Amino acid sequence: MKLLFLYPLPLIIFIAIWHFLTVGQPDRQFIFSSPSQVLNTCFSLLKSGELVHQTGVTVFEALCGFIFGTVIGSFLGLSMWYSRTVAKIAKPYITAIATIPIFALAPIIIVWFGIGILSKVMLAFLSTVTVSIVQSYQGAMSVEPRFLRLMKVVGASRWQTFKHVVIPSSLIWVINAMKLSIGLALLGAFIGEFISAEEGLGYMIVKASGLYDMSTVLTGVIALAAIALFLTGIVDQIEKRLLKQ
Amino acid sequence: MLNISELSFTYGKAGSPWTIKDLSLSVGKNEIVSILGASGCGKSTLLNLIAGLLLAQTGKIELSESDKSKQKIGYIFQHDPLFPWQNVEKNLQLSLKLGKAPSKEWIDKHIEQYFKLFHLDKQVLKKFPQELSGGMRQRVSIIQALLFNPQLLLLDEPFSALDFYTKLCLEDEFFQLVKEQNKAALLVTHDIEEAIAMSDRILIMSKNGSFSNEFILDFATESRLPSTVRSSSKFAQYYGQIWSELKAVIAQ
Ligand SMILES: Nc1ncnc2c1ncn2[C@@H]1O[C@H](COP(=O)(O)OP(=O)(O)OP(=O)(O)O)[C@@H](O)[C@H]1O
Ligand SMILES: [Mg+2]
Repeated sequence: MKLLFLYPLPLIIFIAIWHFLTVGQPDRQFIFSSPSQVLNTCFSLLKSGELVHQTGVTVFEALCGFIFGTVIGSFLGLSMWYSRTVAKIAKPYITAIATIPIFALAPIIIVWFGIGILSKVMLAFLSTVTVSIVQSYQGAMSVEPRFLRLMKVVGASRWQTFKHVVIPSSLIWVINAMKLSIGLALLGAFIGEFISAEEGLGYMIVKASGLYDMSTVLTGVIALAAIALFLTGIVDQIEKRLLKQ
Repeated sequence: MLNISELSFTYGKAGSPWTIKDLSLSVGKNEIVSILGASGCGKSTLLNLIAGLLLAQTGKIELSESDKSKQKIGYIFQHDPLFPWQNVEKNLQLSLKLGKAPSKEWIDKHIEQYFKLFHLDKQVLKKFPQELSGGMRQRVSIIQALLFNPQLLLLDEPFSALDFYTKLCLEDEFFQLVKEQNKAALLVTHDIEEAIAMSDRILIMSKNGSFSNEFILDFATESRLPSTVRSSSKFAQYYGQIWSELKAVIAQ
């Protein structure tokens, strides 16, 4: 109970300092904005519907990429358990793709998929899918030997072993991959918008910073932080549901 | 039930030293046979060969069973293979899920029967393996193996991680089960007393990969149970004989 009170404390202290350092100082406010200005901008952007729209676009891109990336990545990673040869051949490629910074791919993806939503979804997808493949494959390969031995002794087929042992025991790895990649998906979508876009929070931030409109930039940053919290919250819920049963 | 002749096996390439060499063994219905031997002489390897987890280079392993579709082997390990993501009941339904048990009713009926035999409380069904004590886990894993209705049970140091009292109880429970259900069991253990208490025969395995000696145990009592024979005079006599044989084998 006591802790609940302490949670917003750092934020309140930060806002208070920010407020006292900028209040009645227009030149400082030009660079740092101020809590009241940000609040005003926030309200007016909410009223006009722009904030909701831009946030919605970014969430949509990140979530789409994340969902497709997790589903396809986990499917590929787990099925690599079926064939050692495929896994061996695929591994260096996956490692290579996984280590390329998404920044390097963004310009190409935008050329290929246009400046619309699709290229951002692709970037979020690429950020997610490699992590999912690597993690779920590792999960599939680290199934406890005694479980595999049991399945062999009782004459289970490879598919039965996959279904009853490999998938459930890899679940924890898939969920860990999700925790990691939800942030990466958001980053991927954001970077795409940052480079070239017509909507989304990244676009809003780039445009506003060009106009030295710090209040809007900070509003965008706050919205991003809120999205990040919201998305990790979803993943936490999924984890609770799946690991409870 | 089980017939092994001239079995040889090596983990290495052809020409490397044999782990199992020209080994022959037979286990009949209703029989409990124990294998004693030095650490690393190949006891677990032999069980893995019988279970089909390893393939022998030469020799034959035959399991006679009139009904070909029947599960022949149940393997009980020192560390139970219960899935931590499922409760005990789901773990016990594995044979049903794999299509190796006739029906849900059959499973439920036998779970009840085995829970009685092994003195387990019904509440255990809803618990997860990690919430159980070592003795309970081992009982559950034995029941899991039994629900595949195997004819031959392989046990690799199944009770070695348990406290002495739990071990005594499990020995009795397991002994009765094999005898009542006309199964057969091959037990690997390091515990001479356990081997004597449980078995009809004891085989001593030497370091060259086959059996060096055999002891046929005959307590000739009506109500033979592992816990009751431990106090008989023959028990001490067998112990002396087997220990001196085992000492010779270990010193090789
Ligand atoms: N997977 C393996 N690959 C290669 N060698 C192995 C393997 N498993 C066991 N061995 C070797 O085979 C020999 C027999 O091992 P095994 O596990 O059958 O012995 P054991 O009689 O069961 O010993 P313990 O009583 O300690 O359990 C040992 O020398 C061991 O080093
Ligand atoms: Mg062993």
